[in-house]
Amino acid sequence: MIGIVVVSHSRALAEAAVGLAAEMVAEDKRPVIAIAAGLDATTFGTDAMAVSEALGAADSPDGVLVLLDLGSAVLSAEMALEFVDPELAARVRLTSAPLVEGLVAAVVTASTDASLDAVAAEAERGLVGKQDHLGVAAAYAAPVVEADRTVELVVGNEHGLHARPAARLVGLVNGFDAVVTLTDLDNGKGPVDAGSLSMVATLNAQQGHRLRVGASGPQAAEALAAVEELAKQNFGDGPGSAEPAPAGSPAVGSAPGGSGLDVAIGPAVLAGAQIDLGAYVAGDNEHGRLDAALATAGEQLDELRDNHGDIFAAHLALLRDGKVLDDVRTSIAAGASAPAAWRQVYDQLAAAFEGLDDAYQRERAQDVRSVRDRVLRLLVGVTEEAPTDGILVVPELDAATAATLDATRIVGIAVRAAGTTGHGVIVARSRGIPLITGIGDVDVPPGAVVSFDARTGSFEVAPDEERVRATITEREGERARAIADADQPATTRDGRTIDVLVNVGVVQDAVDARGADGSGLVRTEVLFGDRRTAPTVDEQVDAFRAIARALGGKPITIRTWDIGGDKPLPFLPQDREANPFLGERGLRVFRRRPELLRDQLEAIRRTAAETPVHVIFPMVTTADEVAWALQELGPRDGLEVGIMVEVPAAALRVGSLATELDFVSIGTNDLTQYTTAADRTNAAVAPLADGLDPAVLQLIDHVVRNAGVRVAVCGDLASDPQAAVLLAALGVSELSAVGPQVPLVKARLRQADLRRVDTAAVLAARDAAQVRGLL
Amino acid sequence: MGVDSFVSWLRDVAGSLHDNAAYLTELDSAIGDADHGANMDRGFQAVVGLLDETSFDSADELLKKAGMTLVSKVGGASGPLYGTFFLRFGTALAGVDLTPETIGKGLHAGVEGVLARGKAELGDKTMYDAWAPALDAYDAAVAGGSELGTALTAAAEAAAKGRDATIPLVARKGRASYLGERSAGHQDPGATSTTLILESAARTLP
Repeated sequence: MIGIVVVSHSRALAEAAVGLAAEMVAEDKRPVIAIAAGLDATTFGTDAMAVSEALGAADSPDGVLVLLDLGSAVLSAEMALEFVDPELAARVRLTSAPLVEGLVAAVVTASTDASLDAVAAEAERGLVGKQDHLGVAAAYAAPVVEADRTVELVVGNEHGLHARPAARLVGLVNGFDAVVTLTDLDNGKGPVDAGSLSMVATLNAQQGHRLRVGASGPQAAEALAAVEELAKQNFGDGPGSAEPAPAGSPAVGSAPGGSGLDVAIGPAVLAGAQIDLGAYVAGDNEHGRLDAALATAGEQLDELRDNHGDIFAAHLALLRDGKVLDDVRTSIAAGASAPAAWRQVYDQLAAAFEGLDDAYQRERAQDVRSVRDRVLRLLVGVTEEAPTDGILVVPELDAATAATLDATRIVGIAVRAAGTTGHGVIVARSRGIPLITGIGDVDVPPGAVVSFDARTGSFEVAPDEERVRATITEREGERARAIADADQPATTRDGRTIDVLVNVGVVQDAVDARGADGSGLVRTEVLFGDRRTAPTVDEQVDAFRAIARALGGKPITIRTWDIGGDKPLPFLPQDREANPFLGERGLRVFRRRPELLRDQLEAIRRTAAETPVHVIFPMVTTADEVAWALQELGPRDGLEVGIMVEVPAAALRVGSLATELDFVSIGTNDLTQYTTAADRTNAAVAPLADGLDPAVLQLIDHVVRNAGVRVAVCGDLASDPQAAVLLAALGVSELSAVGPQVPLVKARLRQADLRRVDTAAVLAARDAAQVRGLL
Repeated sequence: MGVDSFVSWLRDVAGSLHDNAAYLTELDSAIGDADHGANMDRGFQAVVGLLDETSFDSADELLKKAGMTLVSKVGGASGPLYGTFFLRFGTALAGVDLTPETIGKGLHAGVEGVLARGKAELGDKTMYDAWAPALDAYDAAVAGGSELGTALTAAAEAAAKGRDATIPLVARKGRASYLGERSAGHQDPGATSTTLILESAARTLP
């Protein structure tokens, strides 16, 4: 059992508080409670020496919890930790819990032989009961229950515990007769009720975060075992799956798919306007109306879930979230109409999601709005305006719309908001529906003929229809031919052969690739991203070998661990940084702790003894870093060595960096964001981060002219067939694209005459739009 | 100079704080819990008791023991803060010749301890608002070739200015911070006792 120390200015106060808490527990079950309070029985003050003596008196192998009042109590307790044996100090926890309420909770919890963590957590929640009673909403209110047992687990999902895995967790937990709580040990949030989706999702648990799961009640053990099992399966996202599913994976829904093209034309179908509550007349049974609407919405979502999968399970969980419903009912009881109360609470919830750090999580706000509008429509009696024929123009694309629209009639979707990771966007892509995002506030009259071409990023109202239809026919033919010719080399009309390779994150990418001349980028941090512990050298060799085999022994380019920024690895925890994209990323991470890198280089050298392998180091800035990396690599033995050029400084002085190298590979995504100082996951500035910005192209041109070695490109730009031609014309000799684009890139290159690309005009262009016009 | 100078200093500080106890408590009653004068007086009277009972061979032993006494006897936040100051000051003087430079290093070590303990920043209306300009003035004087006395006088004068500058500040640490805007317009008691300690040093240490 843990020991407890009470530090107070007043001995009388401390003794009375201890008396009050002791009443709660039979004498033989009480923890040891030592007091360090007052300079004597009547003089207020705290004494660090007295605190250190009390720590000794209350010491237990299970730890010591210290409750304090204010001011010097805190300073004296901290000072006491410097006076006592460091081993004892390591077992001591100073808590910010309120003295009286925290002490009562701590004594009760400690008497159950709970761990120091559990006792401290309960003490810190000491105010919740009082706040609840007096109507003060606690930021992360959780039921005041002692967790009978706890487990810790790590969030393995790429996007953290976002809506879908959270919904699975909530659904699982609510099936047990147990109260389950979650605490994120890395961001300090929680504990929250694991049975409430709004609470779980706003916990903002990111990949790699450690969660403490507490459970109590008759089925606590069963609930925890089930949660552990679910966590092992990445909360249902599957092992190492890049969540959300990448484009080209099997369709989420069973509805027929779209054309698979990137161009479309049709009359504009406008949707997504705010639902008008003006005509709604509140009655005396608003609760009943709400219940009826919820029941119908639940039936609709049940059916959608059965047909279209998990996204709607998340919607269902949002619909049935007890915490949120309580808020709505409270508001109705206070006199609000059902739709007004519903809208207000869901607007707040959406705003809470939008306030989260993570871009992917932020976009979950659209799921909230989708559920909000579904119920509002039922309440006010508006039937869902099923879009008819044409191009759907929406402020944002929610998954319900994307999954259920009839792709034989809706030939394309234009989304005003930027952002490419929304559920709706993913679903639409996976269904092969032509899609463009980020068209902004363009004025579109309902029914007007509109067209877009995602390849050029153009959206037109009243376009030249004949031209667009010709483009569509051309693209259809292009797509069919490309797939048929995938295995032919990409030799341009003027006789240059460009190697087109495939980017590999999981072995399956290499298996699925058609026509790839090898892999220009093996993302090792993705390949092993689902691991809790670092892979061994043998495991790495096995994976690299499998990739090389899937590509028929063609060369594979293995990038060393590229972590940091937005890519954490569970087995290499990093400190929080104020500005992670400018912090310890890529190679920089390993200057202080090279062990993992050394293992990986060993695996790469061993693979290279069997099959052609190149190695690249990411996020290099200086010649010193190159020299260090080469020294870590040791003898090359035929291994080709390169660096990623992502940092503008590296691009500008590539000549001096590449003297000892065989090639460089330009990571256009990072090079673009660093050159334009714009985060492409931030919708407000994403349009600035355009890979075709002439400034980025000038840097690429500079690299090609000054590297003195082979230049490859492995960013998004290489997956864009038009941009691929430009890159080749600038002198890039190797392009590494995402799997499904490899045949299209090769096909486009075969048709190109690089001599006819006016690179001078492109480099002198005013902006990315002008570059697109020139291509 | 030797250990005797430090004994004189601590005795003089005790006298000064005793004489000013009512004043310090009055300052503290405006924005705190009205105990700073009584607390400091109690703590330093205990230090005098220590000096009466024990003789010390070295300044570092003396200052460390005085620091531990303050930790146990002051009672308020100034106990751990001044206790830490004297402990670190003493530790820094162990085994070194006492010169203006080494004493400067010792003062810096002490104040760094105060900062680590109290987590205050400049302008939080705390004793650090007196310590910080005092250290700057001391360093500047020593760098300019001044003797210890001149440097300590400069430090005390700078501390007094820093103390006066706490008057308009809004407290962000300690009990006074509960008062928020209402703490403005009152001189900080901690900055005041720090100034007294430095004024005493200028009188007795050289």
